[in-house]
Amino acid sequence: MKFDDKVPIYYQIKQHVYHEMMTGALQPGAKLPAVRQLALDLTVNVNTVQRALSELIAEGTLVSQRGKGNFVTSDQELIARLKETLIMTQLAVAYDQLHGLNMSDDEIITSMQRYIKQREVQTDDSIND
Amino acid sequence: MTALTIKDLRYKHNQHLILHDVQLELAPGKIIGLLGENGAGKTTLMRLITGSAKGKGTIEVNGATTAVTRKQQVSFTDHLNGFNSGIKLQQIVKFYQSVYPDFNSDRYQELSTFLNLDGQQKLAALSKGTREKLIIALTLSRQVALYLLDEPFSGIDSMSRKKIINSIIKWTPDNATLLISDHYVTEIAPILDEIVVVKDQTVSVHKGADEIRDQQGMELEDYYESLYAGGDTHD
Repeated sequence: MKFDDKVPIYYQIKQHVYHEMMTGALQPGAKLPAVRQLALDLTVNVNTVQRALSELIAEGTLVSQRGKGNFVTSDQELIARLKETLIMTQLAVAYDQLHGLNMSDDEIITSMQRYIKQREVQTDDSIND
Repeated sequence: MTALTIKDLRYKHNQHLILHDVQLELAPGKIIGLLGENGAGKTTLMRLITGSAKGKGTIEVNGATTAVTRKQQVSFTDHLNGFNSGIKLQQIVKFYQSVYPDFNSDRYQELSTFLNLDGQQKLAALSKGTREKLIIALTLSRQVALYLLDEPFSGIDSMSRKKIINSIIKWTPDNATLLISDHYVTEIAPILDEIVVVKDQTVSVHKGADEIRDQQGMELEDYYESLYAGGDTHD
């Protein structure tokens, strides 16, 4: 995994875990590798991994079981909330940028709809190729 | 207890002031980048910590204050300069085993397998990268409170660099502190807890790596370079 050295690495590790949960690479209830193994996999500092995991445990995304390791939560409600938060975060970035171009809310919505339509057309074209 | 405490350290060599007013405290269980330009005094600072150079002031490693007791708490391989070139790797390992009671042979075996070191090879026949790998293996095989690595990445290829970085992550003991010097911070940035910068003959900066990213929104490399901006040209 490549890190952006401008952003705290513990934060990027947390985002990485969320991303893996959303894509299904990390399933509910799945066991995470040991801290040092994760540090090796990501080529980062052990303390940094520990900090990210501690925050994920504190917010309930991960569950720590004494002597057994860290597991992804099986709480479906919490996972749904997490997904909602991630979607909102992504949308906020896009919205702020479009808003910065002096677009009104209506214009942003219609542009988004137009964009999705165009994508569909492009995808159909590529199938016909 | 701190892994390292330096107070009011001052060092002169041939009437030349190399370091002055050095204050530094390193907590246990950290990986710390020691940064600074060539000739800034990074190696000198390491040699002062081990006691092979003698300055004024106090240096304490895991509670040990004299040069003799500090040597038992610090692992530092000073470029293997003391060995004659015909010596085989396994003879160097034997030497380490006899000199350092804390040398862990099982750890050395694991490290040497991971780094593909061949005990039958002669020191003089090693490439720059393999020589650095040997230094890493010897240094991390001791069981001490403080490990010092002096520019392990200078002039080596990226595959060797990756292997060395992984060895550091895998084999630095939990409560030990590792101080690693480099003048190019980007290659080690993701594995650092903190950075210490030697500049203007002293320790001028000591900061957390994620603290810099968090508070300044800067890459470590850019932050490090910003310390030199606006002053004298150093090239």
